[in-house]
Parts: sequence; structure tokens; C-alpha cells
Amino acid sequence: MKNTAGRHSAQWVLLVAVFIIATCGLIYELVAGTLASYLLGDSVTQFSIIIGVYLFSMGIGSYLSRFFKDHLLEWFIRIELLVGLVGGFSAILLFLVFPLAFSFQPVLYALVGVTGILVGIEIPLLLRILKDKVEFAELVSRVFTYDYIGALLASLIFPLIFVPYLGLIRTSLFFGLLNVGVGLYLCRYFAGEVRGVRAIRFGGVLILIAEVAAFIFSEQIMSFSETLAYNDHVVYSTSTPYQRIVITKNRHDLRLYLNNNLQFSSADEYRYHEALVHPAMGASGLARNVLILGGGDGLAAREILKYKSVRNIQLVDLDPVMTKLFTEQDILAEINRHSLKDPRVTVTNADAFIWLKENKKQFDCVIIDFPDPSGFAVGKLYTTAFYRLLQTAMTRNAVAVVQSTSPYVAPKSFWCVNETLKASGFQTIPYHNYVPSFGEWGYIMAYKPNDFHLPVTFPIEKKYISEAVMEQMLQFPDDMLAHGPVEVNKLNNQALVNYFEKEWGKYLEQ
Amino acid sequence: MKRGEFIRLTAGMAVVAPLVNACDGQKRNAAKTIPGKIVGASAAAGHLLRDHAFNPPSEFETKEVVIIGAGVSGLSAARHLVQQGIEDIVVLDLEAHPGGNAASGGNAFSKYPWGAHYVPVPNNNLTDYLAFLEDAKVITGYDQAGLPVYDEFFLCHDPEERLYINGHWQEGLVPNFGLNAVQLAEFKTFFKFINHFKNLKGADGLDAFSIPVDTSSRDESLRALDRVTMKEWMDNQNLSSEYIRWYVDYCTRDDFGTPFDQVSAWAGIHYFASRKGKAANAQHNDVLTWENGNGFLIDELRKLLDGKINTGALATSVKTSANGVKISYLDVASRQLKGLEAKHCIMAVPQFVAARLLSDTGRGKALAGHFHYVPWMVANLTVKELHERSGQPASWDNVIYGSPSLGYVDATHQQVQQRKERRNLTYYLPLTHASPEVARREAYRAEHAFWAEKVLSDLQRVHPDIREQTERIDIMLWGHAMAQPRPGMVHGDVRKTLANSIGNAIHFAHTDLAGVSIFEEGFYQGLNAAKKILQQS
Repeated sequence: MKNTAGRHSAQWVLLVAVFIIATCGLIYELVAGTLASYLLGDSVTQFSIIIGVYLFSMGIGSYLSRFFKDHLLEWFIRIELLVGLVGGFSAILLFLVFPLAFSFQPVLYALVGVTGILVGIEIPLLLRILKDKVEFAELVSRVFTYDYIGALLASLIFPLIFVPYLGLIRTSLFFGLLNVGVGLYLCRYFAGEVRGVRAIRFGGVLILIAEVAAFIFSEQIMSFSETLAYNDHVVYSTSTPYQRIVITKNRHDLRLYLNNNLQFSSADEYRYHEALVHPAMGASGLARNVLILGGGDGLAAREILKYKSVRNIQLVDLDPVMTKLFTEQDILAEINRHSLKDPRVTVTNADAFIWLKENKKQFDCVIIDFPDPSGFAVGKLYTTAFYRLLQTAMTRNAVAVVQSTSPYVAPKSFWCVNETLKASGFQTIPYHNYVPSFGEWGYIMAYKPNDFHLPVTFPIEKKYISEAVMEQMLQFPDDMLAHGPVEVNKLNNQALVNYFEKEWGKYLEQ
Repeated sequence: MKRGEFIRLTAGMAVVAPLVNACDGQKRNAAKTIPGKIVGASAAAGHLLRDHAFNPPSEFETKEVVIIGAGVSGLSAARHLVQQGIEDIVVLDLEAHPGGNAASGGNAFSKYPWGAHYVPVPNNNLTDYLAFLEDAKVITGYDQAGLPVYDEFFLCHDPEERLYINGHWQEGLVPNFGLNAVQLAEFKTFFKFINHFKNLKGADGLDAFSIPVDTSSRDESLRALDRVTMKEWMDNQNLSSEYIRWYVDYCTRDDFGTPFDQVSAWAGIHYFASRKGKAANAQHNDVLTWENGNGFLIDELRKLLDGKINTGALATSVKTSANGVKISYLDVASRQLKGLEAKHCIMAVPQFVAARLLSDTGRGKALAGHFHYVPWMVANLTVKELHERSGQPASWDNVIYGSPSLGYVDATHQQVQQRKERRNLTYYLPLTHASPEVARREAYRAEHAFWAEKVLSDLQRVHPDIREQTERIDIMLWGHAMAQPRPGMVHGDVRKTLANSIGNAIHFAHTDLAGVSIFEEGFYQGLNAAKKILQQS
């Protein structure tokens, strides 16, 4: 048994604990509010709701405290450690959860709620622990004085000292450590009065170690979680002599941008690549040799490899960095199902125009997946000169397909490609489909005058294309027509680049 | 041979002045920030002639035809002779490579021109010329209407031309950016005149302005245009704004190396009004061009001439003989004077050279005061990516308003690849700021660093980082690039008198006799000389 002096000091130890709990509780609330306004925006709403939820949860906690009948000091310490655990890791948890969870808010409010409940239990428990030791009026006065002083301290040091110097993750860990420290101190102080002290102490030490470790490695955790927090987290970016390659990822999809133009989104690229590849592959019959110009992402190759007739795919892409990425990086190669490593695929890094000029081989199907004609250099790859060369690379019954920008945004550009193919001696079949991340997109099949048949069935694994869809893709509503004559694109007029610039320029201004 | 004799013999020759001065220039070679050199006529030949005495040739090898000069005229003549079965010919040229004004060079990134760098879409009545272009696969066929189809790779790719004017690159070379209505109206008026002249026929029923020049009408009212300068003619039409004057001056300097206040109005108008070519896949104002400029056409002209071109051969004299013509030349490689005797000689060299080779003082005197040979400087720059001012992106022909230069042409423009590691820019400067004699003397005295600085300070206005981005500048000086079509040149008598063959043995073929220095004229000069020989055999 302690003497009265001991009891007196025990009272002060508990009151200091109240002070710390109050400070920590409010800090956790502020961390949650700051994070919510940082990640979700609209700070007024976030702070308002979080304060409301927190205070309400404290009310629930106070109500629940009535169910703690015995061993109040034990419970007090246990809850103290629990607050340290939940509050200390709250910031890390919220950062990690934000990009991954189905919905961020439930987790946020659950966390705020749990912290509030735990803190809410503690004050009534403490009042009850001390009720026999201190006169009631004085007890209430002291407990709430320390509670509110703690709240003031928290609201001052949080924005002025902790956020600027420690950041959110380390701030919450720091106060978690403080909570756990108090719990462990109480264990020690009241060792004689608490049953199962060793178990409690063991738990406390575990939490302490975990939080110290997290505190030390908070930089790494922070950088990992913070990048995850961006809507489109840039997982890779590089500038090659040919282009700027940026790959972003969020929880919905992975995206490839070349020179800031979206090339594909992993969420819907199957719509684009199935529409690009299968009509031409189907129409060319049992194609054995296939040429892909552009398409360094290996996605068109992935679709072509679905055909058993295919013996050889020659892929010609300008940029070795691009094909290397999509060959060797697992996250990317998974999307193209390692098509670029397939023994049937030959990857050549060369300029398509130059390659085609020197090429002597003929192919049964040609997939042309160049960037849009946004400049004079790339515009050359859409000219009569290029398409005449293309003819020499095609067997008699071969079918080629050209990605031809959006017939909705840029109808003149789209139909200019069509006219250019026709002027180069091809017969053409223009078609289009909807790719959510692109919008309405256009393609043109080109073949030498022969008995061409549209494919009737698509006997391959697919998510999008079908006979009915094919039929639908051939229909062009009025708002995708050129409305007036369009020029043929030639090296010496570059008509397409002018159309494209005007049409997309106008569209992007809106 | 004494120095005095050497000078008397060759003083007027295009090749000599640069050779003599190259010696001086090398001594004073200053440190250069950007590497490069003055290229051109090999100094060795000049040194040999100057430093050694040579025995006159004892033997004269016989040939049916000797052609002196492997420029467009000489090669065209040789080609036609071979096509007609006269194989026993030789073409002599001092330079290591044939080409004359259509000379070209190259580096790892592209070939590039050292002189003439394009031809306009040809007029359709020039059947021999069209046949040549068909042989060269420049014309790939004819459409149903009979119009030639040109190889798309050779038609100048878009974007073709741009002009830096009022702080902005505008499309095309006819000034319009920042011009007021009055100034713009002058261009409208001017092109109305041009259109009139384009369709005009003289009283003799011939086209007022035709190619070759000598097929044009000789109507007196048109001949009158050859008695005034272009500026005088424009003043009479009240075409006097700064912009239209600049534009016409630019054009006449570009084609003729002659400012508009010196050029004959007839020649000036001919530049605009003689191009009437129709094509299946091009317009009359489109041009055909290649990385190495007209060097491409030179290579095509000489395709039938394997083993018949003797380079490094500096002709020293041409004399009529009992059997025809005796020609002496210095063979640079063997350091010997050699002799040739031929039934015919075609002198496909400028008239001032012809006069010297023939020791014909009368011819020399006739030239004086009539034939003015303008010097040019041409530079080739190898550049990395350049900073661009606003407006039209980098084009084939890039002209700076108000610059004494003609701007630059991008030799890599016709390349089709997406990325060009480097570009070769060919910069043209006709030296018309002083009389040809003064400008020529100044030009030969100047060193590489002087020319490099001149080029860079001009281009700096449009590419502020040109000094950092330029890896190399080479310079070519053309002492006598072309004869200026000043008033009286085209319709005067001197040109025709000088063009007359000497006996039936010595014939002349050169654009200075044609009146204007364009590819077609050279082609027909050679063709017509060859035809004269064929008529006799």
C-alpha cells in the first residue's frame, strides 16, 4: 500500500496523463483533418466533419465507459496504449489507403471515430479512478482544466512546430509514442496495482518499437505513400532523342504518354487494339507474315499473336527505349503479355520511312500505329509517298490498317488520310469506335484492288470486337463526315498537318 | 614559265584568283571558334602552274570532240554526243569533281549543294529537257492529259519557304506579315503585270518570255525592256514601297546575282514570267530539289560519260589547227602539260576564260564593259537543333527580310526520317555590295573567320543560339559565279557575236552566252553545241 503522499503523487501522474491524452487526441484529429483536406480538398468541409465526428465519438466513448466495471486502471493503461497505436499510425494508414481503398472517406471517419471513442472512454475512466482520492468538485475542475490546456497546446504546436518540422506522418507517430510512453510509465508506476502488468507492458513495448521504426523510416514511407496519393502517379518518365516517354499509374489504370499525348490507358486499350488489329487480320485471311509500324508498346503484337497462322511479326519502332521498356519492365510487359519476347516477334528500331524504303519483304497484314500527324516530320508518314512504298511491302491480298486520329474531333484529317490512301492506289474501308480514354477514334483499312471480304467471325479471345460491332463501326454519322472536299496529303503540301492542327487546335480551345 | 606569263595566261580565269589568294590566306589563318575551311578550286593546280616551268606538249592525242568544262553545259553536250553515237570524246575540268555551278559536297549527315540547288517545274515545251528528266527518273510517267508526273521525293517538301519579317516567320517569300493595305496592293498590281507578261505573245507570235531566252519574242516593245533596269521599270509603274523593292531585289539577286537597280527589266520580268510548267502533281511555282541540289542532275548528266571526264585537267590553250583544234592542258596529277587534237572543241567555259584560252584579245575587248561576272560566297553549316522565332517552322528555304544574304536552304529538308541528328544549312551571299572586281578582290583577301562571322551574325537574328549550335562552317568562294544580265545583255549583239562558232571546229556553250544563268539554259547551250557538231558529221 502506498502512503497518502504516494497517493497524492499518483493523482498528479494521472492528471499529467490526461493532459497528454488530450493533446494527442486533438493532434490525431488535426492530422486527420489536414490529410483529408490535402487529399480530398475543400478544407472547410473536411475539418468541420472531422471535428464533428471526433467529438461525437468522444461522446460514444463516454457512454461506453459505463461498461467498464472493474480494473479501471488496467483498462485506462490498455486504452492509452491503444490510442498510441491507432493514433500514431493514423497518418501512415490514411496515406496508404487513399489510392488503394475503394473509398477513402469511410476509412477516414472510422479512424477518427475509433480515436475519438478511445479518448472519450479515458476521461470518464480517469474521473472514476480518482473519484475516491480527490474531492469531486476539485477533481472535475482539475481533469477538465488539463484536458482543455492540452487541447490548446495541441492546436498551437501542431501547425507551428510539428507540421513544418516533422510532417504529418512523423507528427502522428511522435504523439503515438508519447501515448505509449505514458501507458508504459503508468504500468511501471502502478505496477503493484495492475494485474497482468507484464502482458500489458509487452504489448506497449511492441507498439513502441514499431512506432520508433516507422518514425526512422518515415522518409521512405512518406515518399512511397505521397506519390501514391497523386491522381496519376508518374511511375516512369524519360526523354529519348525521339520523344518524351511518361508512364503514369493510378488505381484504375496505367497510361502511356508520348510527348504528352496519351497513347493508351490499360483500362480500355483493348478496345483500341482489338479494333485496330482484328478487322485487318480477319480480312487478310490466314496471315503468316505481319508488319507493325510504330506500336512499340507491343499491344498490337499481343493481339496478332492470338492468330495461330502467324509465323512472323516484324515490328519497326523508332525508339529503342520504348521497345526495351515494353520488353523488360514487368509492369508493362504484363500488359502486352510479353509479346515482344515472343520468338515470332522481331523488333527493329528504325525510322519507318527509311526502313520501308530499304525493305524487300512482303507482308500479309500491316498494322500502322504512328503518333497523330501533329507536325511536319510525322506528317510525312501519312503521305502518298509513304503509302506507295507501303504497297510494295504488301502481298497481293494483304490488308493494311492505319490509325487515323479522331473522325469526330478531326473529320477533315481523318478523311484526308482516306483520300491519301485512295490516291496512292488503295481501296479503303474507314471505320471507327469509341475508346473512353481517347473518345471516338478512327481507323482505315487499305488493300490493293482485289476480292476483299470483311471478316465475319473473330475466332480469337476478345473483349470487344464481334461481327455486330464490326458492322456498327462502319457507320459514320453526319458529325464525323468531312463536309466538303479534302486534299490528298503529299510530301509537297502536307495538307494533313494543316487540317490536324486546325481541327485539334479548335477542339482543345473549347 | 615566268610568273608574268602565268598571270597573262590565266589572270582572268575563275580558278586562279582563289588559288593565288589561298596561299596568302593560309599564312594569316587566325584562330577560329568554329571549325571549317575555305574549300574550292584545288590550290595545287595553281601552285604547279606558278612554281614550275612546263615543256609544251610534244604529242597530241586525237579525239573526235574535246569539251572544256564539266559544268551543266559541257556535260549536257557530252551526253548528247554519246547518245548520238559519238563516243570518242573527253571532257576536261580543273576540279576534282564535275559540276561547275552545280557543285556539291557532303558529310555524315547529308549531301549538300555548293551552288545551284533546285530547278523549277520545267516548261512543257522543253521536250529534250523533259526526256532527260525522264531518264533521270525525276519524271516517273505522264498522266492521261499528257502532263508529267514528278517523283514525289524530289518535289520540294512542305514547308517550302518562309520569310523572317517584322519579328516573325511568315509562310512564303512574298512579304505580307505587318504590311498595310497600300503595300499589299502593290504586290497585287505587280503580280497582275507578271500574269500579263506570262501570257503575252509578241508580234512575231512567240511567247514574250520563254526558256531558253533565245526562244522568246524579239518584238521591239519587249526588247525595250532590256534597255532599262528593273528598278526603273518598277518606278514607272509606281511600285515603290520598301517591301516590293526588297522582294524584287531579293529575287533578282537570287537568280542573277544582280540587284534590281542593275538588272535588266527584261531579265527581271523573265524570272517571274517565264515559268509556265504544268505537271500532274505539281504547280508551275513548285520546285524540284535534292540534298545535293543540282549535284543530283550533274550525276544524272554524267551517267553515260564513264571514263570520258578528265578531272584535274586545267586547260591552258586552244588553237585551231589543220586537222581541227589543238588543246593543251595541265594534268595536275602527273604535273605535265598534255596535248589533245580534235575535230571539234566545245568551250563550255565562261567567255572570259575562253578569250584567254584562245589568246583572243578581240574577244576579251568585246567582253569588257558588257560581261560582268559577280562573285558569290556560299557557306555550308552543320548545326544542331536551333532556337526558332515564332511563326512558320523551319522550312526548305529560309529568308531574312533586309539581309544582304539570300538566307539559307536546309540540305536535309528532303530527308524523310523523323529525327535528324544534324542539319546542313547552305547559306548564299551574292557579293553585290560593290563592283564585281572590287568585291572579288575583297572576297579573296578575307579569311575563313571573316566569312564565318558574317554568316553567324546574320543568322543570329533568327537563331540566337546559332554560335553554340554550329559545329562546322565551310566556305566556298565563287570568283565569277555568273554573268549579270544587265541592260543590253539579253537583246544586245555582243552575246550573239561571241556565241558564233570559230570555223566549224570551235563551239561555245555556257550560260553567260544565254543571258541568264539557269539550269535549262546550260542544258540547251550544251545540247545546241553538240547538235552543231552532229550536223557536220
